Amino acid sequence: MALQGVEQTILRDPALFYWILFPISIVMILTGILRHYATILMNNPPKPATSPADSRERQGLLRGVNLRNNGSVLYKESFDTRKSYLVSAFQNGEFLKDPESRGQPPANPMTDPAGMEAMMGMMKGNMMMMIPQTLIMSWINAFFSGFVILKLPFPLTIRFKSMLQSGVMTRDLDVRWVSSLSWYFLNLFGLQSVFGFILGSDNAANHMSQQMASMNPGAGVNPFQPGQDPNKLYLSEAENLEVMEHFCILDGIEDRILHNLASKKAY
Amino acid sequence: MTAATADPYALDHSNLIATLRFSQQAPLILGQKQAAPDSDSIFSATHTRDDPAKYGTIEQLFFSCLQTGDDESAHKCLDQLTQRFGPSNERIQGLRGLYEEAISGKPVDLEECLRKHNDALSENPMNIPILKRRISLLRSLARPAEAIGGLVELLKAVPTDAESWCELADLYRSQGMTSQAVFCLEEALLIVPNAWNVHARLGELLYTSACSSEGDSSCRVLEKSIRYFCRSVELCDDYLRGLYGLALATSPFSESKHASDLVQESTPALGSGIISKDTFAKLNAFATEKLDNIVQHRSLNHQLWEVEQAELIAAKALLDRIKNPA
Repeated sequence: MALQGVEQTILRDPALFYWILFPISIVMILTGILRHYATILMNNPPKPATSPADSRERQGLLRGVNLRNNGSVLYKESFDTRKSYLVSAFQNGEFLKDPESRGQPPANPMTDPAGMEAMMGMMKGNMMMMIPQTLIMSWINAFFSGFVILKLPFPLTIRFKSMLQSGVMTRDLDVRWVSSLSWYFLNLFGLQSVFGFILGSDNAANHMSQQMASMNPGAGVNPFQPGQDPNKLYLSEAENLEVMEHFCILDGIEDRILHNLASKKAY
Repeated sequence: MTAATADPYALDHSNLIATLRFSQQAPLILGQKQAAPDSDSIFSATHTRDDPAKYGTIEQLFFSCLQTGDDESAHKCLDQLTQRFGPSNERIQGLRGLYEEAISGKPVDLEECLRKHNDALSENPMNIPILKRRISLLRSLARPAEAIGGLVELLKAVPTDAESWCELADLYRSQGMTSQAVFCLEEALLIVPNAWNVHARLGELLYTSACSSEGDSSCRVLEKSIRYFCRSVELCDDYLRGLYGLALATSPFSESKHASDLVQESTPALGSGIISKDTFAKLNAFATEKLDNIVQHRSLNHQLWEVEQAELIAAKALLDRIKNPA
């Protein structure tokens, strides 16, 4: 165990500082920027609906949700007709793209081209994270493993040893010494704000292309995950609608008006 | 730039004066855009991320120029937008369609536009901007039945578009199909539950239908309309149109209708009580007073007067009518 109160001194070549600390930091920053732009490049926006039936299937559910959330603006009779219509339509699958295939197990996402695409998108995102990390880590392991490259100016508890000194197998070394591999990890997790500073806010670059994408926002968004059965969602929405209590916001509105507004004379 | 385009999104295209003023700034705004790149090439090279507000402004300017007949500037706007977003962008296609419709004078040209729209739609049946252009073109060609059919199809595919529901309501109203129009506005309300103008519009529709129909149901419809007017005033407490409707619907002219049907109040089918005569009078007093206030206040303010001249004059006429029911 390290002696308490005694300053450990390690004689370091100052070149370590310039040839390890800086290269690691710079490489990390550059990969971060590269990854950002690669993500933008490979990111494909969600596909808008291609046919009216497709769009109908996507947005029909929202109608039920809207009725559930905002039903209070309607009178009871209007609400009830809508409710019974939507419930029966949801249950009969009227909004589905192909009502015949209702009840069948969802298509295998591996064979469904749309599902395949979404999975490819996820894969691409994951790969974008994994490949550079693996490369850089093996690079650091191959070239700089075992170097102690900097000393923190403040003391830390022993728990930080595994975080700051990975790759250095010395039991008695003071926790304040940081190894090269740990410096890599610190950079990996700590550079978010630096990227924010360099690249502007995180998605500033791909903001513009979305602006003109669609007239009504949310039109292109597919609420269904690939492989999810829309029919099940519709059935559960029908259930939600059935159990819902209706209240009308217009009940007693004239008294509310008179009470709240008419009493305030000042205009 | 900030002074020239104070807030392009706040521009109301039914306000002709503001539209005219805005479109008169066209050379200024468009000139700026062209001067910008060569004035500071390094800066513009590093700063390729263009701000979204700029293109929003150009789009608004495009509409204003078309409205005021400045087709040349409108074309320039369209060119700039096309340059940025490419001719295959759906929204750009919609704008181009609008431009072509606007510059075509003869009905034959409009037919040609319609054919173009149909062609574009056969390529991509979900091209929403073009779908909407086609419907409004049908409407301006005085073919409301086809326009309604198109809108119904559109709404089947996109049932969450409040704008289309309102347009359909307006079309139905123009054909005298009030109950369908009411249904459409109710759908629109479900999507935008806090839109006071839609509330007031619904109130107006119900009021007209109550006035035109006779019998026991008209009283109930009138009450519905009063409640919608109330809601719109509750949501926006100096909304002129809502107050106007409230004052009109509770005015003595319609009170006679209300009173004549009051005898049948034994059927509380609404689930809510029937508005009592006392409340009726109070509501009317409140609405007239507030309306009076607003009319006086806004008439003094030159800018406001300019903007809402027509509405203020109408409100004044109504007030006079209520005060001296000669």
